[in-house]
Amino acid sequence: MTATARGWNRREFMGAAGLVALAFGLPAAAVTLSSLDPATAPTPAQRALFREVSQLVLPRTRTPGAGDVGAGDFVLLALAHGLDGARQPLAQPTPALLPHLRPDGTLDHAAWLEAELNRRAGGRFLRAAGRAGILAALDAEAYAEGRRDHPWRTVKGLILTGYYTTEIGGAQELRYELVPGRWEPDLPATPQTVAYSSDWTAVDFG
Amino acid sequence: MDFDAIVVGSGITGGWAAKELTEAGLTVLMIERGREIRHQQDYETETKAPWELPFLGQGDAALFRAQYAVQRLNRHFTEFTQNHFVNDAENPYATGPDTAFSWFRSYQLGGRSLTWGRQSYRWSDYDFGANKRDGHGTDWPIRYADLAPWYDKVEAFIGVSGQAEGLAQLPDGRFQPPMALNAVEQHVREAIRSRWPDRCLTIGRTANLTEAKDEEGRGPCQYRSICARGCSYGAYFSTQSSTLPAAQKTGRLTVITDAVVEALDYDPLTRKISGVRWVETRTKQRRRASSRLVFLNAGAFNSVQVLLNSVSEAMPGGLANSSGVLGTHIMDHANTLSAMALMPGFEAHTSFGNRPTGVIVARYRNLDRMDGAGHSRGFSFQGGALQSTWTAGKREAGIGAAYKEKLRHPGMWKMVLVGFADCVPRASNRLTLDRSRTDANGLPLLKIDFAFGQEELAALAQAKTDAAEMLTAAGGQVIMGSDRPGAGGTAIHEMGGARMGHDPATSVLNKWSQAHDVANLFVTDGAQMSSSACQNPSLTYMALTARACAAAVSMLRDGQI
Repeated sequence: MTATARGWNRREFMGAAGLVALAFGLPAAAVTLSSLDPATAPTPAQRALFREVSQLVLPRTRTPGAGDVGAGDFVLLALAHGLDGARQPLAQPTPALLPHLRPDGTLDHAAWLEAELNRRAGGRFLRAAGRAGILAALDAEAYAEGRRDHPWRTVKGLILTGYYTTEIGGAQELRYELVPGRWEPDLPATPQTVAYSSDWTAVDFG
Repeated sequence: MDFDAIVVGSGITGGWAAKELTEAGLTVLMIERGREIRHQQDYETETKAPWELPFLGQGDAALFRAQYAVQRLNRHFTEFTQNHFVNDAENPYATGPDTAFSWFRSYQLGGRSLTWGRQSYRWSDYDFGANKRDGHGTDWPIRYADLAPWYDKVEAFIGVSGQAEGLAQLPDGRFQPPMALNAVEQHVREAIRSRWPDRCLTIGRTANLTEAKDEEGRGPCQYRSICARGCSYGAYFSTQSSTLPAAQKTGRLTVITDAVVEALDYDPLTRKISGVRWVETRTKQRRRASSRLVFLNAGAFNSVQVLLNSVSEAMPGGLANSSGVLGTHIMDHANTLSAMALMPGFEAHTSFGNRPTGVIVARYRNLDRMDGAGHSRGFSFQGGALQSTWTAGKREAGIGAAYKEKLRHPGMWKMVLVGFADCVPRASNRLTLDRSRTDANGLPLLKIDFAFGQEELAALAQAKTDAAEMLTAAGGQVIMGSDRPGAGGTAIHEMGGARMGHDPATSVLNKWSQAHDVANLFVTDGAQMSSSACQNPSLTYMALTARACAAAVSMLRDGQI
């Protein structure tokens, strides 16, 4: 059996994106997948979990949420490929992370988050009431004063990437202008001013 | 002879050599090791949005780790630009045991002119006189007056936007109108000037057009700031937008791509190069051509590699290496994020468009008064003020609708100052060939030994202190700063290795960028540099190239070559 046949591949991803589009009346997400090693392919449960977690972080407001646009699948893809250092061996893993380390010392973030949220929910997170509160508690711990590294930070960062680089996140929730055509160095800003996802300097250094 | 001249390389200086030599009436063969990239036709990702790319513009991290282990460290290397950088796995180099060196490379027609940072600064006599003043390296055989008219010529052709400031240490050029400072930068400029009258924050002098150059088919900058993807407007200087069409217009240019030069043949009877040999990278066939002149413009380190690999019975230590200094005294600016500060009070200000340059604070230490703390040269800052955006959310607690709403709006203003310190030339920082290992073309690997020394560390320490003082004086709240340089190479200003000098016994090139030992050989890329200054070097490479071309043509016509 080939990796493509068994694994999580581009066609399958596009199928998932298509289901998202059908369910929410959205254009299919532009992200596509190259073949993933079967050993790293996420389970259906993990895909459902990451979709929900993405939606909790960036919910549907005036624009669709991160789960709606397929950010959950992007995060799983990015984790598997190691974006944002996700495949760097952990220097000092805490005991809670040890069960989810791969042989090479890297953390299986998907497995960790699944176990962590289920533990906090006292059962299956996706069936729990108060999911936003459970996730908010994890988030607060991850960003607590003095805390620098936490696997949730990696996951949340990738959710943001997976949202604001889509057409909905980048050009509907924010503004996108490929060809500004002019430089206006000093304009008035108000609390209603909407940011540009195409402000590449801000994206890189902001 | 097959050609009047052969130019090795098609990047910033190779393009200039081809333009100047063909316009002088010479037939020229340009040999480029990488693939062809056609202006306005082959900039494949130029107009793409992140959502049109497989990895949303972030790139395949697994591929990058495996194939682009060095290039991925370059901040301009993204999914949009990865096709403008080399594959490290296919283009290996060696380093010494104590060397960390990130060598950023672009093997393609146009070379790094497609991906460069476009910052274009004149050097001054503080720079050309630096070696003589403090005794490091060897004295430059030229001074600013020798190069000033060539700076004029280059700036007028490539188009440099900038603000004249009247600074002796950063001479003004023939500028197009400057791009404006934003509100925060304007404030910081004034705050610095009021407390330190000798310190000048000014807009970056950048090879992006603020006025069209219709005669060259180049349009003004569209403020996209995605230059490294390639610019079909021709709004920044690149070989493709500027020098290549000028050379092609003469009808005297022949271009070969996918051909890596392995060596130059030396004829001891004539004491000249008799031929240039190259490998066709696709077929591995070996070819050769002859010419009256050879210009090496392969990029500083690669030009040195060609010379080191051009051994013969007459020159067993490498071509043009009777001095024994070939490969030595390589440099790169020591750079680090000297200070970052939050800039409160500007919440009612924003901007529109993506300005493709930051600001600089010109060098102010060790000019007429030696006031460097533990170092005898200079440092300058590059940076700018910017507003944060959604990526700041990665560092902040929060989930849900309120969090999303916060990320919808421009965030806090910040100001960053990145220090660039002059790198002292040292014999121990050098290039050699590792003949025990070869690349895919059968060529020995270039080996880099490099380390910064106390001079650079002291300069960056003072830069950190000064940067924090300046931003604090401007009302900023400094949140971080460093005095530790990034790895060698990260300034992408690697230079030296075939230094210019008065004495054939201690230098490779004379004041015309001509090899002391080989009359028809000119090396006019970064390899020729005898010191590094602290400002970006490319404009100086171009001016030296144009000057060398005029000298070479004159010598040729006078029968001196």
